Amino acid sequence: MTTTVKNTIQAASVLALSVAFTLFVQAIKLVKNPHSTPITHDTLIGLGALWAFSLIGVLISFAMKKTPWKILQEFPMLGWVSIVSLAFCLISPFFVKVISAVDFLSLTTTVLAFAGISVANDLGALRKLSWKIFIVAIVVFFGMYFMDTVVSQIALLLSGKM
Amino acid sequence: MKKIIALIGLVLFIDLIAELIGMQVIMLGAIKISILPLVFAVLIGILLSLIPLAPIKKLYSPEIVKFAGKYMIFIMLPLMARYGANVAPKINEILSIGWVFLIHELGNLGTILFGLPVALLLGMRREAIGATLGLGREGELAYITEKYTLDSPEGRGVLGIYLIGTIFGSIVFSILAPLLLALGFDYRAIAMSSGVGSASMMTAASSALAALHPQNSDTIISYAAASQLLTSFIGTYIMYFLAVPLQRKIYNTFTRRLDANKEVAD
Repeated sequence: MTTTVKNTIQAASVLALSVAFTLFVQAIKLVKNPHSTPITHDTLIGLGALWAFSLIGVLISFAMKKTPWKILQEFPMLGWVSIVSLAFCLISPFFVKVISAVDFLSLTTTVLAFAGISVANDLGALRKLSWKIFIVAIVVFFGMYFMDTVVSQIALLLSGKM
Repeated sequence: MKKIIALIGLVLFIDLIAELIGMQVIMLGAIKISILPLVFAVLIGILLSLIPLAPIKKLYSPEIVKFAGKYMIFIMLPLMARYGANVAPKINEILSIGWVFLIHELGNLGTILFGLPVALLLGMRREAIGATLGLGREGELAYITEKYTLDSPEGRGVLGIYLIGTIFGSIVFSILAPLLLALGFDYRAIAMSSGVGSASMMTAASSALAALHPQNSDTIISYAAASQLLTSFIGTYIMYFLAVPLQRKIYNTFTRRLDANKEVAD
């Protein structure tokens, strides 16, 4: 089996796991609050669409690694998946309908659970950092978000959309 | 295979607890901040690993943790696909203010304008270059590694920010978004600024914002996702052509002044 085939099968399995987690979380949300997004046929088809679009994005990303253009090689897989899904959703409102039956926040919890687990090995390194860099980090995060918002606010005002 | 099942069990457990806690609204003075299950999920994921019990130590074996890191990108992809359905219905609205989306990318220079002076005043020097070039995500990490290597003061700076951002980024951004709203900014301006180049930070920020503005959540999520996509296209160029020269200029001006003062004081 070539590496690409193996990597594709691995990606397809993890993606299937990811949409299964999403269904699990949406179900818990529903138990906790019966008024949250219901699980319908559309939800299941929507999850299938998310799985398929993700896999297409993965395949494009693999293929682009073989092109001679650096910008295409380095374009993130996450970006390809967004583009693929956006294209399908623009072509057919059907996809928007079924994907919208998948609760947005139900997708986020598992991603962040993985993020939390995956940094466990790095916590030791955190203790070695100087206190100064924590202050700088807060200022850097705030500085970016704040300045971004100021520029957007001014530009929106100038555009007359606000 | 056993390790993967252990990881799945751990994730299901974290999801369950995070969802049972559910969304919590806390008041920081007069500022309303919504804490979503995604923040609890990352916190539980981290805090569990600190419990010194044998079965938990086993669950957090270096191998399982490495698995989680390796597969995280694929776990994230369906979320990125979900954004397509948010952006598509709003595409005309977004394209009609396309130049606003382009211009706002200049705000990325805020890391340098705010961060660099603070870092230099704290006494940092070359570390400050790595620490303030951007949010210390993959793009900056690659650039600094190539130019200075990771085993340099600049490299230590960017690694520090990378680490702090990875561990606390989503928590910090889900607090910053409501904070900006409380400062009086328009939800659309904050939404498009949430696309900062890290998908989990963008998700945390825009979800926190949407929770406070549920009637506009479609617009918020679509603006954030569109801006995130744009950042992944042009973020690197802004870094190369604007951030790097600007940083060099501010660095030289500031250090000359600070070091001159220091000599006088000595």
